[in-house]
Amino acid sequence: MWGSFFRMGFRVLMRQKNYFLLNLAGLTIGIVAFVFIYLYVENALYYDRSWKNYQHIYRVNETYSTGGKAEKMALTPYLLADTLKNNFPEILQSTRLFFTDPSDKNDVSSVNYRGKMYDIPNLTIGDARVFKIFNYRFTEGNPDSCLLHPNSMVLSTAMKQKIFGSNPALGKKLKTSMRQYTITGVFDNKNRPSHLEFDAVISITSLDKQEQKQLNTNWFWLNCYTYVEFADTVNVRKFTQRVNYFTDTAIGKFVQKQKIKINGYMHLAFQPIQDIHFSQGLLYDSHSNINVTYLYIFVIVALFILLMASINYVNFATARSLKRAREIGVRKVMGALRKQLMRQHISEALILTFTAFIISLSLVELMTPVFNALVNRHITLVHSLFSGSGLVFGFLLLLFMLLLALLSGSFPAFVLSSLQPVEVLGGRGVVFKTKKRYSFTAAGLRKFLVVIQYLVAIGVIISTLIIFAQIHYVKNRPLGFDKENVVVVNSPADTSFRGRVKGFVAALQADSAIEQVATASSLPGYLTGKILVSTGDSTDGHMQTLNSFFVGYHYFDLLKIPLLEGQYFSSVTENDSTEHFILNEAAVDFLHLKHPIGSYLYTPMAKKGKIIGVVKNFNFSSLHQQVEPLIFVLSPQYVQYVVVRINPAKRQEALAHLQATWNKSNKGYTMYYTFLDKKLDTLYSSDQKMLSLFFYFSLFVIFISALGLFGLSAFLIEQRSKEISIRKVLGGSEKQIVFTLVKEYVMLVLIAGLLISPVVYFFIEKWLNSFAYHIRLSIWYFVAGIVLVLFIAFFTVLLQALSMVRKRPVEALKYE
Amino acid sequence: MIETKRLKKVFKSADIETVALAGIDLKVEEADFVSVMGPSGCGKTTLLNLLGMIDVASSGSYRFKGEEVYSLTEKQITRLRKQNIGFVFQNFNLIEELSIWENIELPLIYQGVKKAERKRRVMEVIDRLEISHRKDLLPVQLSGGQQQRVAVARAIVTRPHLLLADEPTGNLDSMHGEEVMNILDELNKEGMTIVMVTHSHHDASYSRRIVHLFDGQIINENLNRV
Repeated sequence: MWGSFFRMGFRVLMRQKNYFLLNLAGLTIGIVAFVFIYLYVENALYYDRSWKNYQHIYRVNETYSTGGKAEKMALTPYLLADTLKNNFPEILQSTRLFFTDPSDKNDVSSVNYRGKMYDIPNLTIGDARVFKIFNYRFTEGNPDSCLLHPNSMVLSTAMKQKIFGSNPALGKKLKTSMRQYTITGVFDNKNRPSHLEFDAVISITSLDKQEQKQLNTNWFWLNCYTYVEFADTVNVRKFTQRVNYFTDTAIGKFVQKQKIKINGYMHLAFQPIQDIHFSQGLLYDSHSNINVTYLYIFVIVALFILLMASINYVNFATARSLKRAREIGVRKVMGALRKQLMRQHISEALILTFTAFIISLSLVELMTPVFNALVNRHITLVHSLFSGSGLVFGFLLLLFMLLLALLSGSFPAFVLSSLQPVEVLGGRGVVFKTKKRYSFTAAGLRKFLVVIQYLVAIGVIISTLIIFAQIHYVKNRPLGFDKENVVVVNSPADTSFRGRVKGFVAALQADSAIEQVATASSLPGYLTGKILVSTGDSTDGHMQTLNSFFVGYHYFDLLKIPLLEGQYFSSVTENDSTEHFILNEAAVDFLHLKHPIGSYLYTPMAKKGKIIGVVKNFNFSSLHQQVEPLIFVLSPQYVQYVVVRINPAKRQEALAHLQATWNKSNKGYTMYYTFLDKKLDTLYSSDQKMLSLFFYFSLFVIFISALGLFGLSAFLIEQRSKEISIRKVLGGSEKQIVFTLVKEYVMLVLIAGLLISPVVYFFIEKWLNSFAYHIRLSIWYFVAGIVLVLFIAFFTVLLQALSMVRKRPVEALKYE
Repeated sequence: MIETKRLKKVFKSADIETVALAGIDLKVEEADFVSVMGPSGCGKTTLLNLLGMIDVASSGSYRFKGEEVYSLTEKQITRLRKQNIGFVFQNFNLIEELSIWENIELPLIYQGVKKAERKRRVMEVIDRLEISHRKDLLPVQLSGGQQQRVAVARAIVTRPHLLLADEPTGNLDSMHGEEVMNILDELNKEGMTIVMVTHSHHDASYSRRIVHLFDGQIINENLNRV
């Protein structure tokens, strides 16, 4: 019985190809967008939940406060992991991983295997217990012992594949500029989304013995991520208090021993590992963290896209079925029962929804690589669908499609098949008669649904416009220095480079394509260090934390940072052995210095230095933040970066000269360099990512809503063909009649625009306020968004209206 | 006022040609009242549509007030129709979303008549056809006879020289039909030219002349009541 209904259904759909394709396309696109967003959200929620006992794994974060200024960071001292494990039995396991800045690459990041260099994007140092907590599956080696011995290295499967192909890696040697490592294990991180992003780990025992000893006593040297695994019974809140009491005492002893005075505290906090992916506002936290608000927005958008697609689908289906009222009448006259009519319509709907379902999933599978590149994830449909929650999702989606089919299929079956055949055969078609002018009608319902679609479309478009404008603004706002044409070269980790710096710099300057060269430990857009300073000497002054840049002589001249008073470091002679500082305006205010020039600042080891200059504030971190206090310490020997200003007209020549000079000075080392303006752009990479997601959302939403309006207006205008003809006969011109038809839709868009604008304003203002520097929210963004949608709606309806109006009136007025 | 020569209309579909009108020569003088009669499918409505310029003949000539209609552009035809012709249909063809008043006002809007003048003229026909108390209702709220009065009001509000009526009483009972015919008769007596398609000999008896169509051709014309 059902078989014959499906056969008939196929014929009906094939006969109405345009309708079938339009509806299929709308529904498919809706499902594709929905599934992608689901995959993204599911992946985000699955972050760090794949570890055995993940509910008991915590990262230790630290609030570090001096001089009344508190900073939260994800970093802790090296000694913390052992200290906790040794003093608290509640802690079953602890481990630490060194902080590494993936953008700060040097010779250590590239390894040599059989004469070929391989770049390891994210290399870190970890202790022997890393894989006890992070229980990756090992394809080679033993997770418990792989990091015990010095110069051991563990690789990810992807990295191993890159270097060794399908050959086993265990026991093979990899060389860096300074050492040789032995591969002791290969771990598989596929489908284990985590805030940990390392591709390789080196054993902590590889560190120099002297360095380890220093690290093991210093509470202020924050350079490690510390993770702990608690016993089941631990009350983390109470435990935190006990730990802090303990560490306060330990730090107090340490401070006393160092003979410094600090007006501040250090507070530890335990963060559940599955929360890390959504944590914001911690310094030195994982780059892959996302703002959970974005996730909510995505979920809302996804639901709306699915809703819109469903609305369109039901709208089309019911509109279409009205056209078939006559067919239903004939069938009823022939003796069809309502049940049979229902089956007929539901089987048609089922064919359509399931075709859409299958095509969408295939499209998702095909487009996954593109999507992964966009959101920077490794998501696979198959894996996600066959994990626990994925199965539920797949089932729910299927159920939803079924419901959609039942709903859209039963409308004609219920409503139309309940009509008396004589009503529909009577020649008028089905008209929902209105007794009052503004009563609720099927047409009214459709209009309402169209307004909802336009709410979403306009909202997303306005948001996209504003996000675009803001990102354009932050990328182009003058920062207070000249970021163009500056090449930043990462110096080798090999300390012998310090001896070669002078020669290297001199050799660089020999070419006319190079305008100026400077050295530094940090630059705008890069991580800044922190140092403790006080305005009085260490016995009577209180220590305060300042952002610090250790720089060489020509730093300010090169970056063109304007001087307010005093002098640049370039005025200091090379054999002057006193410490020299330059402050920015914010630091002068922060330290309450009335006459900064010539006054002294003290650092913890009772060292003092003279302030010789004050520079204007410039934005050295992202424009999300105000300019913070910053101190420059003249230290020509501390060279993390070689900064090169090149002649823009001789760019190629400059880069070639740079490479050649590098090769001469640092034989066998890969040169890592970046343009400063590019690096600064990466400060907004998560904003940029949001922009591109919003851009794609807009496309989806515009497409679906335009499709919806196209189909719906086609139907509604066709339904009004008779009215149009009457108007023509009464002397209406094409222009007048088209205006009559289009006017209504224009009104709908305007209403939608007015309704959604305050909502967008509310949310987008919040987002803009996350920037210390942002554009003003002008009304024109809203007008532009509405006008854009208005145009799309206008032309969609115009197409339909014109084709209808151009018909001769007599065609529609033919007698029924 | 109207003169057609060898007016032909052929409908083509896929591979069948249907001849609806096979060369009509018809003359209608000013202030005439012509009934077109004939069996279903003989081409009555097609002829009326051609005369009303809402359809175009396949061949032949159509002179309206001395002007050759088929030498005019689409725009000029529209203007000619707007200024001279009113329509009354069997099924009224009122616009359901518009009130009675708005329905009657619509052709005036399309003619670009100013608002005050529109009001005056709509009021005039509404009074005349005794529907003023229903002017704010929607068409569906009226009986068939009332709807047809509205349709007539809408057709004559522009003061056309020619009124084309396609079975104006076809959907009405005899009492309401009589009312509508009396109105048409009155209009004709005031000088309006009327061409009416009808099946009803009774209705035809109101006209001055009857034209019989059969298979797309005029088979005879006779004067009535003169």
